[in-house]
Amino acid sequence: MHLYAWLAIILPFIGIAAIYVASCISGRLRNLAAVAFPIMAALCCLRLLPLLLHPGQLPLESSWVWVTHPFILEIGILLDPLSLILILVVSVISAIIAVYCLGYMKGDPGINRFLMLVNLFIGSMLLLVLANNLLLLFVGWKLVGLCSYALIGFYYKDERKYWIGGPEGDAPMTTPSFCGLKALVVTGVGDLIMLGGILIIFFYAHTLNLMELYKSAPVWFPELAQNPNLVVLVTFMLLAGPIGKSAQFPLHEWLPEAMAGPGPVSALIHAATMVKSGVYLVARLVPIFYIGRWVADCQSAELFFTITAWVGAITAFIAATQGLVAKELKKIMAFSTVSQIGYMWIGLGVAGLTQSTLVAGTTAGIFHLISHAIFKACLFLCAGSVIHAVHSIYIQDMGGMRRYMPYTWFFMMIAAVCLMGIPPLPGFWSKDAILLVNLEAHHIPIFVIAIATVALTAFYTTRMMAMVFYGAESQNLSHLKEESQTPHEALPIMWGACGLLALMLLALGAGGPWVERLLHHNFVLNLTETLKLPIKEAAEHAINYHLLVTCLSIGAILAGMIPAWVIYRSHERKIILQSRSVFRELHIFFWHRWFIDAFYNRLFINGTLKLADFVAFEIEDNFDNLIHHRLPVLVTERLPHLLLRLKTETDNFLYIGAYLMGIILLTIGLAMWP
Amino acid sequence: MLEHILLQTIIIPALCAPAVIFGRRLFGKKAAWIARIGLLYSTLLLLFATLKLTLGGVPIIEQHAFAGPAITMNLLGDGLSLPIALIINMLCTALAFYADHYIDHRIEAIYGEVDEKTATNHYTRFYALFLLFPTGFMGVCFASNLIGIYFFLEILPLPLFFIMAMFGYVDRVRVAMVCLMWAVFGAGFFLVGSIIVYYQTASFAVASIAQMAGTPAAFWSISMFLLTILAKMAVVPFQVWMPWVHAEHPTCIAGLLAVYANIAVYVMLRILIIPLTADFQIFSLPLMILALITMVYGALLTLGQTDIKRFAACSTISQLAYSMLGVCSLTVAGIDGGLFFFLGHIMGKTIIFSTAGIIVYTTGIRDMRQLGGLAAKMPLTTALWIIGAMGLAGFPPMSSFPAEWIMFTGIFKAGLMGSPAKLVIAIAGAAAITFSVVYCFRSVKIIFFGPLDEKFINNSHIKDPPLSMSLPLLTIAATTIALGLYPSIILDLFHKVVAAGPFM
Repeated sequence: MHLYAWLAIILPFIGIAAIYVASCISGRLRNLAAVAFPIMAALCCLRLLPLLLHPGQLPLESSWVWVTHPFILEIGILLDPLSLILILVVSVISAIIAVYCLGYMKGDPGINRFLMLVNLFIGSMLLLVLANNLLLLFVGWKLVGLCSYALIGFYYKDERKYWIGGPEGDAPMTTPSFCGLKALVVTGVGDLIMLGGILIIFFYAHTLNLMELYKSAPVWFPELAQNPNLVVLVTFMLLAGPIGKSAQFPLHEWLPEAMAGPGPVSALIHAATMVKSGVYLVARLVPIFYIGRWVADCQSAELFFTITAWVGAITAFIAATQGLVAKELKKIMAFSTVSQIGYMWIGLGVAGLTQSTLVAGTTAGIFHLISHAIFKACLFLCAGSVIHAVHSIYIQDMGGMRRYMPYTWFFMMIAAVCLMGIPPLPGFWSKDAILLVNLEAHHIPIFVIAIATVALTAFYTTRMMAMVFYGAESQNLSHLKEESQTPHEALPIMWGACGLLALMLLALGAGGPWVERLLHHNFVLNLTETLKLPIKEAAEHAINYHLLVTCLSIGAILAGMIPAWVIYRSHERKIILQSRSVFRELHIFFWHRWFIDAFYNRLFINGTLKLADFVAFEIEDNFDNLIHHRLPVLVTERLPHLLLRLKTETDNFLYIGAYLMGIILLTIGLAMWP
Repeated sequence: MLEHILLQTIIIPALCAPAVIFGRRLFGKKAAWIARIGLLYSTLLLLFATLKLTLGGVPIIEQHAFAGPAITMNLLGDGLSLPIALIINMLCTALAFYADHYIDHRIEAIYGEVDEKTATNHYTRFYALFLLFPTGFMGVCFASNLIGIYFFLEILPLPLFFIMAMFGYVDRVRVAMVCLMWAVFGAGFFLVGSIIVYYQTASFAVASIAQMAGTPAAFWSISMFLLTILAKMAVVPFQVWMPWVHAEHPTCIAGLLAVYANIAVYVMLRILIIPLTADFQIFSLPLMILALITMVYGALLTLGQTDIKRFAACSTISQLAYSMLGVCSLTVAGIDGGLFFFLGHIMGKTIIFSTAGIIVYTTGIRDMRQLGGLAAKMPLTTALWIIGAMGLAGFPPMSSFPAEWIMFTGIFKAGLMGSPAKLVIAIAGAAAITFSVVYCFRSVKIIFFGPLDEKFINNSHIKDPPLSMSLPLLTIAATTIALGLYPSIILDLFHKVVAAGPFM
């Protein structure tokens, strides 16, 4: 079994070289190589699926020593329920998207680079997930960040048509190369702070191996907890990485701009897989802090779960409000991604707040990760096809697209319904599981925020679908038709990929409760039997929480969906917005993304550049002038006779040397005088 | 042939230098091949010696008389000096190939259209001077005598001065003099430190420095040596010379300037930290603070630059401080990682500087704001710059990635076992790496991305450089990636020496 896991990592890396070699021979061979290796990697991962059905054999580990001095570092893989679930999601969705890319990128001059980067990304992501230690995980972590940078800035020539933001005159626009840099830097800040947290853990645990960390946590965590401030510090540092990578508040501002990349990139990296790595790492860290809280009885360890849950809740809400007013199709989905990942964080955060919610919280968070990965990949791919067809990224340039792209509309509708959480699709099961575990943990404030976000999600999803596929056609479409560029359905390879994802959604929806039970069973075995974490049974409640959550959830969906349909289907939005000043103010506030991005730009970008200019042109120039010009002049004027003979015409610096040397020699002489 | 390996690596480049000068009558510009072949040979010797040590061999000790019993030319090739010397010599060899076209371009730019004999004279003069770099570097690496180290440290400013004055840019003569003065300034303190050691131990041998441990003189000698080292490394407040010197020299020796500055870390470890660990403790925290200040200051200075060469120069200030931070943490991991980072940095910086040279050579422009969009016409150059940037920013699979990891393990250990101030420095230091990511990849955006400037669109000269310029850089890139994938080959050698010390 180990062999398949190793192959899953290695094959996409081989694919990079294969694409390059094949591209020198023919385009068709290159295309074959570009999809063959991701598909083979996916098949290797699927070969591991039986392990999930019979989790008694887990965990499996395989490693070899990489560095022996100054301490031992390993390269190895870990197969446990969490990594297995993730590699299945990553590899299968990546393979489907790789196929879609062939259609989407057809004729693009940078297609070789693109396909190689996609393979590099898949390999790196599988490395991240399968790593059996935090160092190797960090290698994958950095590599996916680098791929993300390269793919967001794929259109590096910054042609006007690839700029995002706007519409022109309405809001500032940004170039792909800037967006790539922004993503790299914002996630990089989190990565490097997280590195510090990992190193502190390494100091106490003397290992980076995940299984060893779990098993020895009852010993080393109390040592760490002798200084409760250190636990708090480690918590913040470790969470900084996932917060950045998963685009959670306050490091969430890079993801909307990441949509500058080609459509499949948004689907693959910024929706389905890479942004999930933060959720994955949090899930990996849950057992450690759970042991700290419930075994080592360190109260400060609870902070990890509290922060996780609250970050998730705040992010889910903020991002959803921004999605309400976004005008770019992919950006609506980007906000939606940030918001939905927030739900996963809520699930994982609540998992450790009580002993009875560990398994349910973990299951809910990971289940939502799976369903979100599929429906968001489907949404992004469909969005890519629509944007391709209408030559515009703005939803107001669409409208009535249902009749031109019936397949795309159908598949996107399934995914949108899933995003809203309407039964019986998987989004319903997974989102309700998160809401339920919140209620069971009696975390009412977060529960209320989560329910409110359900309504917002339904609103922006309905708005998006109504403006893209229903209603009257936009002026843009009329222009296109006049120019004989009538929108049409995407290539079969493209809608086929979307259809496959939609089919997966239907299947997962039909088997939702069964999948949830399977995940629950796996996590029970892993967390309680393998890792020996102490848990308690959930208390009985007088009210049926399950029914309550379902009713509230469906009520919230209707509360969001109906007004959005009424407003945006009938094109009455302007009248409503103009009739109430509070709507106008809210619209401005959300449109400016709560002014968070502007604040960051002013503080970090402008602030740093101003500071850099101050250092370079004020401090350094003046210091240079002092050392290389003024000081020698000063010295020569005061001690002209003594130093006259040393004077050179080219430079006066020798004066200082001689002068200082004399003083220092004198000082030493006096100091060493017996 | 395999006897006196260490001496050969010092002597052969020194002998090749006059051979190039005399050989030009016979071979013309082809006399430069004497330099390249000599350097290839010495690199192979070092590779052989390093591999032998890796496979369980013993350190090489060579004893050679020089000037009486006190001042010898004893050489030591151990786990510290051999790998460092190997990488440095490899860089010298690569740059000897890279310089071929570049120096022709400089001669044309400075001296205009000259006859072939004059051009050949300039060209071979460059190579003769260039060979003094490997001589000096190898001497510093292997010398086991303070006067020997002083001697070789003093050799290094000479080729720097003449090459800069003869082949540099606009303000080359004045800056060459500034560079020489700073070298003299630093060397003076080194000599004072050496003399203090001699008066305490009656020897200049590095091995006898440990006899001073615990005496007041140890403090003073460390202080003197540190002044030299800090000035060489351009640590704040001694950084003012670095941007000037790097900006004015020809970029074909740029990588060696990074070595020139960074080798001071090795000297600090060899003559201060290993023999006088306990006495050095008092300097640990102040030096770490200085390193942190330099990291941040250097990074901000880099962000403020518009000149492509000053950009690389200022980043050197910041990056050198990382090695210092690691080594001054006085932990085994900090020292191992710090030294390994030194190697990663000089390779990354050689790639970046030399690529900057390619850009200046191709476009004739140094102002980054006037560049932009070059990736469309220079994909290989772009790839090289990105590889260099990845090396400086510590991305896998570059050697600086494991180096940073190991180094910060040591720095955090010092923080958790020592004063809380060191923990704050460790956290701030790790976070400060973000600056490297910012300035490295911002430069990629400014120079290579965006629309291609109109003046370049129809310019047929704007293209990737000839293979003789790019291949040496690709070789360096392959080496740094190989060391990133398998760092143990060098870390194990470092560790044998460092672990023998009384470090945490």
